[in-house]
Amino acid sequence: MSHVNTSDWYNSLRQELECNSLSIEKVSRRSEYWRKSNLDIVSDLVQEISETDLINLNGTHLYEPELTIVGDIMELASGKSYKISSIMDEIADEGSFTKNYFGKLEEKSQKLVPRPLARDNSLSPKVGYALSLPESSKKPLVIHNKTKTSVNNCFQRNLIIVNKGVEATIIETGNNLSVFNSVTEIYLDENAKLNYLDLTGENNIFPKISHKFCDMAEKSTFNHFGLRLNTKSTRNEIELHLNGPGINTSIANVSLINKKHHFSDENVLINHNAYECKSRQVFKSVLENDCTSIVRGKIYVAPEAQKTDGYQSSRSLLLNENSRFLCKPELEIYADDVICSHGSTSSSLDKESLFYMLSRGVHKEKAKEMLITAFISEALDEIEDEGIKSALSNYIDIWTSNFFHE
Amino acid sequence: MANMLNIDDLKVSLEEEEKQIIKGLSLSINPGEVHAIMGPNGSGKSTLSSVLAGKDGYIIDSGTVNFDGSDLLEAEVEERAALGIFMAFQYPIEIPGVGNMNFLRTALNSQRKTRGQEELNAADFLKLVRGIAKDLEISDEMMKRPVNVGASGGEKKRNEILQMCLLEPRFVILDETDSGLDVDAMKLVSKGVNNFSSSSRSFLVITHYQRLLNYIVPDFVHIMVDGRIVKTGDKALALHVEETGYKDFLQLGKEKH
Ligand SMILES: Nc1ncnc2c1ncn2[C@@H]1O[C@H](COP(=O)(O)OP(=O)(O)OP(=O)(O)O)[C@@H](O)[C@H]1O
Ligand SMILES: [Mg+2]
Repeated sequence: MSHVNTSDWYNSLRQELECNSLSIEKVSRRSEYWRKSNLDIVSDLVQEISETDLINLNGTHLYEPELTIVGDIMELASGKSYKISSIMDEIADEGSFTKNYFGKLEEKSQKLVPRPLARDNSLSPKVGYALSLPESSKKPLVIHNKTKTSVNNCFQRNLIIVNKGVEATIIETGNNLSVFNSVTEIYLDENAKLNYLDLTGENNIFPKISHKFCDMAEKSTFNHFGLRLNTKSTRNEIELHLNGPGINTSIANVSLINKKHHFSDENVLINHNAYECKSRQVFKSVLENDCTSIVRGKIYVAPEAQKTDGYQSSRSLLLNENSRFLCKPELEIYADDVICSHGSTSSSLDKESLFYMLSRGVHKEKAKEMLITAFISEALDEIEDEGIKSALSNYIDIWTSNFFHE
Repeated sequence: MANMLNIDDLKVSLEEEEKQIIKGLSLSINPGEVHAIMGPNGSGKSTLSSVLAGKDGYIIDSGTVNFDGSDLLEAEVEERAALGIFMAFQYPIEIPGVGNMNFLRTALNSQRKTRGQEELNAADFLKLVRGIAKDLEISDEMMKRPVNVGASGGEKKRNEILQMCLLEPRFVILDETDSGLDVDAMKLVSKGVNNFSSSSRSFLVITHYQRLLNYIVPDFVHIMVDGRIVKTGDKALALHVEETGYKDFLQLGKEKH
């Protein structure tokens, strides 16, 4: 930390957090929450680095990035309506508004689950943004991460504040060419709405660990959509605190993985702390070539969270025998007037459907593709914005069409 | 004239259990002919259609099936479709998440591609499929749904006929397409089939009822019992079955053992 300028408030917070920090080595042996994760491929050599990434498709831009984070340098496109600053500047500033937010949700997130990597991040952030959204914007804010090979371990720390009644969409894409660890603390005020799309593509050849911790006020909405296309190793942790009535949230994820021993690991904890809130979780994983997908989705319903409506569905399509879908849905309910459901299934491609399609002349690969597309559509349907949804569907369709030709 | 389809002493067992279902079946069908197969439940009619369409799960114990002079059993399912073979399923399945229109267009264009023809563009396809849907009184709403999802039994059967008209096969197997149809739908479907028939197209119509055969008049009626054709006649044979059932034929099935 010596070379980084930090404020007194940050230093004292850091000291406090450091006292209670845990090592990942210890935790992963002890905690059910970490045991099956396979994050020790850090030492794997990068075989090939191609320049394509998720925002590019056949040379055309799916999205124009507005904020690019290359290694530990932020580049911002000009003329934006939002307030954005470097988190490193903020934690150096004694009077920074981030003082009231920084680390609060990370600390809270340790209550039920040990999250040593999030703590590491709080202790030594390297880069990141503090974003405040005072007014709504139809256009998504596109953030492009480009982790450099030269950086061993990138700790990215972000703070997002969405003001009362403001609606916004953030699309995060990019590649990571070294280990990437991000923590994003998100505060949603009354009636605020944030759609967050975390699109992780093939070029994530190093482990990517993302945390999103979100505090939600009355009638706010948080929709998160995750896409993992042949990611080598991703671990995603989302914890939401639904603190006021009438909150809506949807967490969806699509993992399409067919490179040997790659995996994705999705962890969601939704704390229903207030009445009449609705949460949905939809996970779809398509796995081939001995890949693994892990889904742990927990719904916690506090005694005062009456009329909670919690839905969770985790499904996988296993295209070969040795691929694994490890799913652990959990419900912890202390209120009596709630509707909570969860279901999980693993299946192979439906033979009858396949035969039906082939018998009409559809080519085998194409039929499989169509069934995969059908399989993941429930998760894609969680995306509200039709434009983004169809752009992504198209992207995935084209991507999937190469799925069987490798 | 060369046969379109030629099945010679075909014997087929199930892959999963040691059980022979088709036990020495021979049948020749020429272009333009309509053949009907009737037979008691479980006699192997659907198994025969599935084997012709190329479904897996069966073992060919012996015999041959030729289509246009080449070995049909060697061909992949989708190749058979492109050769012009179409089976209307006895129980059409639902495919959630796969849109009907997308499915139909993909099927049509895949076949065209296999045959080296140009693909149909979206506008021409739409025009074509709408025309057929209208004739069969299939609603737009129905067409927009995922394949067969939420369709009634009769609607699914109509959908099969729509697919047939769209894909323009040369050899059509109708596996109990009449079951589950109301009187009006039966007329619609029969009209669809009749309009579709031509001197170069052949049909294998599997049915339990003589009623359908009033509309789609067969050149030959075969009675299938226990995996074999035990009797072949003309349309009068279907009338006979309707009156007396299969009791006269069950014995024939046994004698052949
Ligand atoms: N996959 C299978 N597993 C087990 N038995 C099967 C299978 N497929 C067919 N059979 C059996 O083979 C026999 C013939 O079945 P098939 O469906 O061909 O009869 P069908 O003549 O079409 O009868 P129906 O008039 O009721 O439609 C039946 O005894 C059936 O139970
Ligand atoms: Mg049958």
